[in-house]
Amino acid sequence: MDFDLSDQQKEIKSVAHDLLTERSTFAKVRACAEERRYDEQLWRELVELGWTGIAVGEEHGGGGLGMVELAVLLEELGYACAAVPFLGSAVSAAALAAETIDAGGELLATLVSGERRAAVGLPSMAADGAGAGLAIVIDGGRALLMREPQVEEVATVDPTRSYARVSGGAQSALGAAARGRVLIALAAELVGVCQRALDMTLAYVKERRQFDVPVGSFQAVSHRCAEMFRFTESARSATYYAAWAADAAEEAIAEASALAAAAAIEAGREVTAGAIQMHGGIGFTWEADVHWLYKRAQLDCALLGPLKGHQVALGELAAQRLAAAR
Amino acid sequence: MDLTFTEREQAFREELREWFARNDPGQEPESDEDLHFKWRRDFQARLAADGLAAVHWPPEYGGRGASVTESAIFFEELGRSGAPLPANVLGLLLAGPTIMLWGSDRQKERYLAPILSGEEIWCQGFSEPDAGSDLASLKTRAVKEGGEWVISGQKVWTSGAQYSKWCMLVARSDPSAPKHRGLTYFLMDMEQDGVQVRPLRQITGSPEFNELFIDGARVPAENVLGGEGNGWKVALTTLMNERAGLAFFLQVRLRQLLDRLIAQAAASGAIEQPLVAARLGELQMRAEILRLTAYRGLTATEKYGQPGPEGSLTKWMWSQTNQELTQFAVDLIGPEALAEGNPWAYELLRARGNSIEGGTTEVLKNIVAERVLGLPKSR
Repeated sequence: MDFDLSDQQKEIKSVAHDLLTERSTFAKVRACAEERRYDEQLWRELVELGWTGIAVGEEHGGGGLGMVELAVLLEELGYACAAVPFLGSAVSAAALAAETIDAGGELLATLVSGERRAAVGLPSMAADGAGAGLAIVIDGGRALLMREPQVEEVATVDPTRSYARVSGGAQSALGAAARGRVLIALAAELVGVCQRALDMTLAYVKERRQFDVPVGSFQAVSHRCAEMFRFTESARSATYYAAWAADAAEEAIAEASALAAAAAIEAGREVTAGAIQMHGGIGFTWEADVHWLYKRAQLDCALLGPLKGHQVALGELAAQRLAAAR
Repeated sequence: MDLTFTEREQAFREELREWFARNDPGQEPESDEDLHFKWRRDFQARLAADGLAAVHWPPEYGGRGASVTESAIFFEELGRSGAPLPANVLGLLLAGPTIMLWGSDRQKERYLAPILSGEEIWCQGFSEPDAGSDLASLKTRAVKEGGEWVISGQKVWTSGAQYSKWCMLVARSDPSAPKHRGLTYFLMDMEQDGVQVRPLRQITGSPEFNELFIDGARVPAENVLGGEGNGWKVALTTLMNERAGLAFFLQVRLRQLLDRLIAQAAASGAIEQPLVAARLGELQMRAEILRLTAYRGLTATEKYGQPGPEGSLTKWMWSQTNQELTQFAVDLIGPEALAEGNPWAYELLRARGNSIEGGTTEVLKNIVAERVLGLPKSR
């Protein structure tokens, strides 16, 4: 058993991290957010690097890797809070690659090449809505593919990304593989958002002095940071397990993705709220950047659906397993 | 990343599962402490006879040379089978590995085999009434007199002391040295007049732990472990060995408790209520996160020789989840769960100790904040 990223996966993570540190600074994210637009140049670069097709087979122009590698990229994009329409397209590609509906790969090819953009989320609110020619939405217990849907943009509290209501178009039902991948992808982005919120908080509480000492030396502060770390690592354990299950233990995907979703919702909300609190007054200003993370987390969590829904599913699945074992 | 077990690990698990199926520990004696201990001691003898008492020990000392993962598998299967922890758990997990690292050849020769067989039980004399989280401030004195040491002081939370032949004792041998440097680690014979064991009744009503009153106990110089004044380092070896395997045993016990509650809620129909299903699902989520995070820690230990940052979290997660679980059980079952003799009443009360024993949650948060997150020393 090896519950750690492989050398190749670590390499992908570190390359993505370095690239985004340089190209997607908070100054850039802020500029995009305030003008409510994407960073199209960065987006083209990511497409050229093959990121959109990382979890798509080579026969469809993808990178031939899996959900773990996509989760690694999404974590880094969440960490950067990057203003690119990556999530919708890359996750739709990964979901379609795992289903049989697009066996010919026409949709896949256009998603991987960036020619077609896709939205993911819920019918009432999907991420990366602007210009989406396709949407994959979770509608209760199932996932739904919409080709050429009607897209009605909604300005949300998170201006680093476009969101929209999606409806109509040609609709087809997708299976557990697609539904699970959408949940895992959102969870992976949240892991990155949490990690960034934690890192910024740690840097701040080491620096900020009150009563002649760094505020991080007060247990009221340091213990909250420890809690933020626990939530972040909990979401990480659940998310990478679920991503691995998507690639290697498909039968576990419904339960694993519910676990990842629940852990990530809890972490996303707690950690980014903690980041604002630990920044004190400055954290409540538009100038400080922690609010972008809080807002992104709020949207991601809302798209994952209610926390209690995933917890009910986990409780019921456990009860069914026990009943079956008896 | 590969969360499947290797063929070797899987084969080991199957071997254990088969062994535990063939070796029923029999009915757990519930009311009598002494009978309960004998039950565990007898079971350890059976494990030892088949070379399974301490799978993580090297073969030359009677172990299987099991890897960290295999050792975790052992404790998982032990927990799953419903068999008890071996009677000499502190000897097997703490004293043995500490003696292997710091002991002389003579000490290894003398002490290891009877630990494995359960012939000589060990207890741990670390905590004192005024030295809990701040262990290095302990006051028990060791004074050299001729060829031996004379020990006086008080220890607390010594589980199994009444059955123990030996005690891993840390005492202050040099009061003039800085607090971490004036300590020495002794292997103290419990069977002498200078050592009095008094049961410490805990909130469950049963005496799982003891107090030790040490007044002029004698320890020969050859029973110093790891050298005079080196006690803090030796004690850290013991403390580091404390959590690794046990975490998996506890994790499985928590799993069993949760399964029992879920089955009970399904049988009574309570699980049909969305609020009940959601709460059980939340506990299921915590139990699964604990299991997965513990596995991450295993991988880190195997690959890098020490647990990663996640290693500091599992004990904290376990205690919190066990407390939430037992509290919800009382909520779900109602007041009858609090009737004396109801197993949930015991579990509820016992769980209060979880966030104190083996490092309080507050200390664990300090450790995370200072050693993992690099925050300044707390105040």
